[in-house]
Amino acid sequence: MKPATEPVGAQRADEESVGGRPAGEERVSGKTGNDEPAGHESVQEEPVGVQPADEELAGEQTTDVPPSGEGSPAGRPSGKRSSDKRSPGGRRPGKRTTGGRPSNEPHSGETPADEPEPQIGDAPRNGKRSATTDADEKPDASVAGDELGAVDVPAKSGVPAKSGVPAKSGVPAKSGVPAKSGVPGESGEPGAAEEPEPTAEAAAIGDAGSRGGSESVGRAATGGGSGTVGRAATSGASKTVGGAATGGSEAVGGAATGGEAGKNVDAVAEAGGDEAVSEAEQAGGQEAGGQAAGEELPAEAAETLTTALDTLRESVADLHFGLDLPGVEEARQAQADLLAQLEGYVLPRVRTSTAPALIVVAGSTGAGKSTLVNTLAEKTVSRTGVRRPTTGTPVLACHPDDHEWFAEGELLGGLQRLDAPTPDAGPGSLVVVSTEKLPQGVALLDTPDIDSVVEEHHDIAHRMLDAADLWIFVTTAARYADAPAWNLLRLAKERGARLAIVLSRVQPRSVDVVLKHFVRMLTEYGMGDIDRFVINEAKVTDGRLPDSEVTELRLWLAELSVDEERRAQAVRETLNGVLDSFRTRVPALAKHLEGQVAFRTELRSDVEAAFRSALMEIDKAYKNGSLLHGEVLARWQDFAGSGDLMRSLQLRRRGKAAKQAPERVLAFKAAIRTGLESVIVAAAHRACEEVVARWRHRSELGAKISEGLDSPSDNLIRHTGRAIASWQDHLGELVRTEGVAKRSVSKLVSFDPDSLALIFMVAMFSGSNGEGVPHRLVNALLGAESLRGIGAKALSDLRARISMLFDEEAMRYVKALDSAGIPDESVATRLYQATYNLEVAR
Amino acid sequence: MTTTTTRPGLAPRLTALTKVVELGPGRLDKKLLDEAGGLLLRAGDRLKLSSEHTVVALAGGTGSGKSSLFNAISGLELSPTGVRRPTTARTHACVWGLEGAAPLLDWLQIQWRHRFSRASALDKGDSQLHGLILLDLPDHDSIRALTDTEADRLIGLADLVVWVLDPQKYADASTHRRYVTDLAGHDAVTVFALNQADRLTTEELAELVIDLNDLLRREGVDHPSVVPTSAVTGRGVESLKSVIATAVSRRRAAIQKLEADLHRLEQRLGEAMPLGQALSAPSSVDEARRMGLTDALCDAVGVPAVGEAMENVYAERSGQWVAWPYPRLFAKLRPDPLKALRLEDVSAEIRGITTGSVSAQSAEVANAVQALADGLSVGMHPVWRSAVHQAARSRSGQLPQALTEDLTEVAPQLDRIPGWWRALKVWQYTLVAAFVAGVVWLVAGLLMPGQLPPQLELLGDGAALPWVGLMMASVLGLGALSGIAARNFVELGASRERERLEREMRRRVAAVSATMVVEPVERELGRHHSFFTALRDLSV
Repeated sequence: MKPATEPVGAQRADEESVGGRPAGEERVSGKTGNDEPAGHESVQEEPVGVQPADEELAGEQTTDVPPSGEGSPAGRPSGKRSSDKRSPGGRRPGKRTTGGRPSNEPHSGETPADEPEPQIGDAPRNGKRSATTDADEKPDASVAGDELGAVDVPAKSGVPAKSGVPAKSGVPAKSGVPAKSGVPGESGEPGAAEEPEPTAEAAAIGDAGSRGGSESVGRAATGGGSGTVGRAATSGASKTVGGAATGGSEAVGGAATGGEAGKNVDAVAEAGGDEAVSEAEQAGGQEAGGQAAGEELPAEAAETLTTALDTLRESVADLHFGLDLPGVEEARQAQADLLAQLEGYVLPRVRTSTAPALIVVAGSTGAGKSTLVNTLAEKTVSRTGVRRPTTGTPVLACHPDDHEWFAEGELLGGLQRLDAPTPDAGPGSLVVVSTEKLPQGVALLDTPDIDSVVEEHHDIAHRMLDAADLWIFVTTAARYADAPAWNLLRLAKERGARLAIVLSRVQPRSVDVVLKHFVRMLTEYGMGDIDRFVINEAKVTDGRLPDSEVTELRLWLAELSVDEERRAQAVRETLNGVLDSFRTRVPALAKHLEGQVAFRTELRSDVEAAFRSALMEIDKAYKNGSLLHGEVLARWQDFAGSGDLMRSLQLRRRGKAAKQAPERVLAFKAAIRTGLESVIVAAAHRACEEVVARWRHRSELGAKISEGLDSPSDNLIRHTGRAIASWQDHLGELVRTEGVAKRSVSKLVSFDPDSLALIFMVAMFSGSNGEGVPHRLVNALLGAESLRGIGAKALSDLRARISMLFDEEAMRYVKALDSAGIPDESVATRLYQATYNLEVAR
Repeated sequence: MTTTTTRPGLAPRLTALTKVVELGPGRLDKKLLDEAGGLLLRAGDRLKLSSEHTVVALAGGTGSGKSSLFNAISGLELSPTGVRRPTTARTHACVWGLEGAAPLLDWLQIQWRHRFSRASALDKGDSQLHGLILLDLPDHDSIRALTDTEADRLIGLADLVVWVLDPQKYADASTHRRYVTDLAGHDAVTVFALNQADRLTTEELAELVIDLNDLLRREGVDHPSVVPTSAVTGRGVESLKSVIATAVSRRRAAIQKLEADLHRLEQRLGEAMPLGQALSAPSSVDEARRMGLTDALCDAVGVPAVGEAMENVYAERSGQWVAWPYPRLFAKLRPDPLKALRLEDVSAEIRGITTGSVSAQSAEVANAVQALADGLSVGMHPVWRSAVHQAARSRSGQLPQALTEDLTEVAPQLDRIPGWWRALKVWQYTLVAAFVAGVVWLVAGLLMPGQLPPQLELLGDGAALPWVGLMMASVLGLGALSGIAARNFVELGASRERERLEREMRRRVAAVSATMVVEPVERELGRHHSFFTALRDLSV
C-alpha cells in the first residue's frame, strides 16, 4: 500500500495523501478509543516480528482505504512511536492521540531538534484536527504532491532531505543505514514521506509518522532522481512486507520508473522477500492483491530476519582466532558476548515478540540492586547483605503468569534455571522466582555487580544486559561519579537500549545537591532526558526498603505493564539498538580476524623475503668470484701449479687416460664443495636471523613463535653437503655427455672429464667474464656453445638444489606459524555477508 | 638525618639495581627498565629528604570519606568534604612538625595553598604524631580520575598508604585490581581503614571485617591490618591514629616502602630475566674455544691447502732447475697439447696462477664466528644470545680482509727460485758439458788417432777405452744421482717450509681473531656476567 503512494508520484501522491489522512484519522480514533486492539493487530503483521501490530493495522487500513492502502500503514507506525515516546515521558494519553498520526511527534519528543521543522509541526496539527480538517488539508497536500511529482527530481530531493533529517534525529541508529527500511514494518510512511512537499509532507508525515517513514526517507536520500522516489516507495513496501530488504532494494531498481513504480511496489508487497523484484515486474498493477498479500508478509519477514540472524550466529560461532595477537582476548570475549546475545536474546525476541519485557537491574556493588528488586517484588527474592559483592547468581522475578515463559523460554536459554539461589550455583545459572506483586508483562532481573573484585560478576551482568529489553541502572550517592558506572551508561547509549536510572541511598538532606550535580553530569553526557528515580537512604528491613521509596518506580512498572504498546515500543527499540550495534560489532570481529590473516601473511612474506634475499646473496657470491678464496684458491693453485692441470690434457696420439694424482683432484673437488657449502650455510644463517628479527619486530607473538628458530636446522649442513656433492656429480655427468669436444680439438686432444668438470666449476665461479685461464681452456676444449649450454644447466641445477634446501628451512617457520594457529580467512567474508544480509532483512 | 650507610641491606641492593639499570638497556624491557630507573630516582630522592618525616597517604575511592577522615585525624576542617562526587581534586597535606618538611612537600609536589601544619604546641595529645605528613589524595576511581594520575603518583611516593574503604565500595575492582594486588608484600606499609562503620550494626561490621580480611589475604596481603573507623562518630579514629603513630615514631616506613618496592621490582626482573644457570655461563673465551676458532679460521683461509700447494708446486718447479736435464729435454720434444689448442700463451698464465696470494673466504669466516657464538651462548636468555652473536659479528665485516692482508705477508712465494737451485743447475750443466766433452774426446780419439795433442792422447792405448767409457758413464750417473738427491732436498725443504709456514699463519690467524672476535665477545660475556651478578645481589 505504501509503495503505491510513492511510485505513482504525483497521482498517487494525491490518492495516498487522501487515503493517508483517512487512515490517520481512523487510527487516531482507534487509539483514543482503545489503543490495545490496534496494537495487537499491528504486532502480528509487522515484519520485524516485534511490530506485528503495525502490519495488521496496515492490513486493516488497506481494507479501509483500498486504493491508498499506504496511508494506513503509515498511520500505525506513528501510533506506535508516539506511544513509545510517551512512555518515557509519562505523557501517555494526550501524546498518544496526537502522536497517532504524526510520527513526527515521537521524534520531537525524543529529539527536540525535530520539532522545530515546520513540517513536523504541521503533521501533529493535522493529526489532532478532526477528520474533516484533515480532509480539507489533504486535498492541498495531494495537490502539492502532484506538483512535486511533476517536478520529480526536485521534489524528491527536497523530500528526502526534509524527512530524512528528522527521521534520523528521531531514530538515531537508523538514519545512516539504508537497511533501516527493513526494521519496522511501517512501510506506509515511507511512501508518504517521499511524496513530500512541505505541505504534502506534513500530511504524509502525519500518516507515516512512524519510523518506517524516516527510514524510507533515508533511502530516498541515498538514491537520486526519480529513481529515488521509486526506491523510497519500494523500500517502504519492503518494510511493510517485513524483513525482505533484499527483495525490496532490488525491486526498487525495477520500480524506478515513475508511475509504474507504485504498482511494482504493491507487487513487492505481495512478493514479500527477495522474489519481490521479479514479481514486481510481472505484477503490473494488482494493488488489491498486493494488499491482501501484505498481511501475510510479516511472518515471512520475521522468518527472513530469523534466517539472517541464524546465518550470522553460525558465522560468528565459526569464528576462530588462531593467533594470540594483542586484542585477541577482547575479540574472543566480544565473540562470546555476541553469540550469547544472539542466542539468548535476539533470536528468541525475533521469534516471539509478544514475550513479557525483561527489565534488567544493573549497577555497582552495594548500590542496592537486590534490595530494590526485593522491595518491588515485596518478597525476598534475592539475598541482600553487607558483604560485597552480594549477588552472584542473577535472579529473575516475574508475575506468575509469565513464569512459564521465563522458566522455559528461549530467552537466556543458555542458563540453567533454578528455583532458589544456592551457594554453589555456577555462573551459568539463573534463578526464576514468581511473585504476584509484580505487574504482568514485565520481569525484573537482579544482576551481579559490574565493578567488584569478582570479575565473573561483570561478565554475568553484561550477559544479562545483553538480553535486556529495558535497563534499570542503579547507582548511589557515593558512586554516581564512578568510572565503571559511566562506562555502563556509555554502553547503554551505544546500544541504544531503553534505560531508566535509579539513584539510591541518597541522604535526604543532600538530595538536592547530589541530584542536581548528577543531572548536570547526565546532561553533559547527553542523557539528561532519561527517566530518573531517586531513592533515599532508608532503613532496610528484611532486605527491603520502605514501600514509599519505590512508589514512583512501581508506577512506572505498572504503566509499562498495562500499556502494551508502549512496552512493545521499548522492547523494539532496544532490539533495534542491539541489531544496530551488530553493524559495528560484527565488522569489528571480522576486522580483527582480517588483521590476524594479514599478520600471518606478513610473517610468511617475511620468511619468503629473507630466504629470497639469501638466494640472491649466493647468486652474487658465485658471480663475483668470492667463492674462489681460501682453500678453493689454494687448491686451484695446487692443481694448476703442480702440473695436474696440464696432465689432464693429453694429445690423442698418446692414448687416453693420463695418470692423475687422484688425491689432489679429490681434494680440490672437496674444497669447492666445502666452499659452496659454507656460502649456503652462512646465507641460511643470515636468513634465519633476519626472519626472527623481523618477527620480533612485528609483535610479541612473532617473538614467541620464532623461539628456537634463530638458526638453521641441524640437518642443513648435512643436506647441503649432499646436495652439493650430487650437483658436482651432475656437472661431471653433463661434461661427460654433453661436453663433446669440438671436432677439431677432439682429434688432437683428449681430456679427463673429472678434471674438466673442476676447471668448469672454477670457470663458473671465478666471475671473470671469459677472461681467465679456466674459461679459455674450457672454451677451447668444448666450444663456446656447449660451454654456455652446460653452464646454464649447471647453474640452474645448483639454484634449484639450493632453493630446495631453503624451502625446507622455510618450512620450519611456516610450521611454527601454523602451530600457533591458523585464522580462517573465509569467515571474515562470511561475517560481512551475514551482516549485510541482516541489514537487508531488516 | 641519617644516611644510607646506616641502613644495611637497602644500600647494596640499590647499588645492584643501579648496575642492572646500567647494563639493562637493550637487554631488558623498556618499561621495566624505566620503572627500575624510576625507583632508583625515587629511592635516591626519598633517602636524601627528611627521614624524620613519614608520608602517610589516605587513598581510596570517591565517597569513601578520605577527606572526612583526614579532618578527623588532624582535628581541623582542612579538606573540604561534601556529597558531590568527586569532591577532592587536589591533594591536601597536613604536617605535624614542620621542620625540614618543606623539601619533602616540594618533592611530593603539594601546592602551597594545600599545605597545613599542626604546631605540636597546639595539640599535646598528638605528640606521638610528630613527623607525620598526612596526605588527603583525590580519588582514583571516578570519571575525573581517568584523566588525572595524581592519586597514582602519590600512592607510589607515600611511605605508608592508608586505604580508606567503605561498606559500599570495599570490594571494588578499581581498588583491588589496580592497587592492592600490586601492593602484595607491602603489608608493613599498608593499612586498610574501613570507614563509615557507623552505617553498620556491630554484627554487620564484624562480618564485613572478616570478609575484607579474607579478600585481602586472597590477594596476597598476608597480614592485612584493617581498622574500622567512622569519621562521623569518631569511632576508630584513635586506633587509626595509633597505628599511624607507631609507624611515624619508628621512622622506618620510608625504608620499608622502598624495600617492598624493591622486592616487587626484583620479582618482576626475575620473571623477565630468570637467573637460572646464567651465572654458570662462561664469562670468558677459554683456550679450547680459541683453538677451535683459530682452526676454523685457518680452514677459511685454507692454510693446510696453501701448505700443500706450496709443497707440490716447489716439487714441480724444482724439476726445471735441479733435475737431470736429459729427461726434460726429452719431455720438451713431446708435442704440447696447448699448442694443439692454439693456447700457447695459456701455459704462461697457468704458471702465473700460482703467484696468487692467500685470501680468506668470507662465508667460512662468518660460519666460524657464528659457531663460536653459538657455543658460548648455549642456555642464555635469547636477548643475551643475540647480544653475544652481535658482539662476535661486530667486526666480522672486516675480518676476512684483515686475515687476507695479514697472511699475505707470510704467504709463500711460489715462483721463488732459491740460489742453490741455480747452483745445481750449473752443476748439472757442467756434468752435461763434461759428458759432451768426453764424448767429443772419445770420438775424436777414435776417428783421428794421433792427431790429438799428446796431452790428450789418452786413448792411444786401446786398453784405456773402457776406462773412458766408465768415466763417461760415471758422469751420467753422477748427474742423475745429484738430480735425485736435489729433488729430495727440495722436498725435504719444502715440507719443512710448509710446517714453518703453517705455524706462522696459525699464529697470525690467532692474533687477528683475538682482537677482532674474542675481545668483543668477552666484553659482552663480562657484561652478561655482571648483569646477572647484580641481579643476584639484588635479591639477596
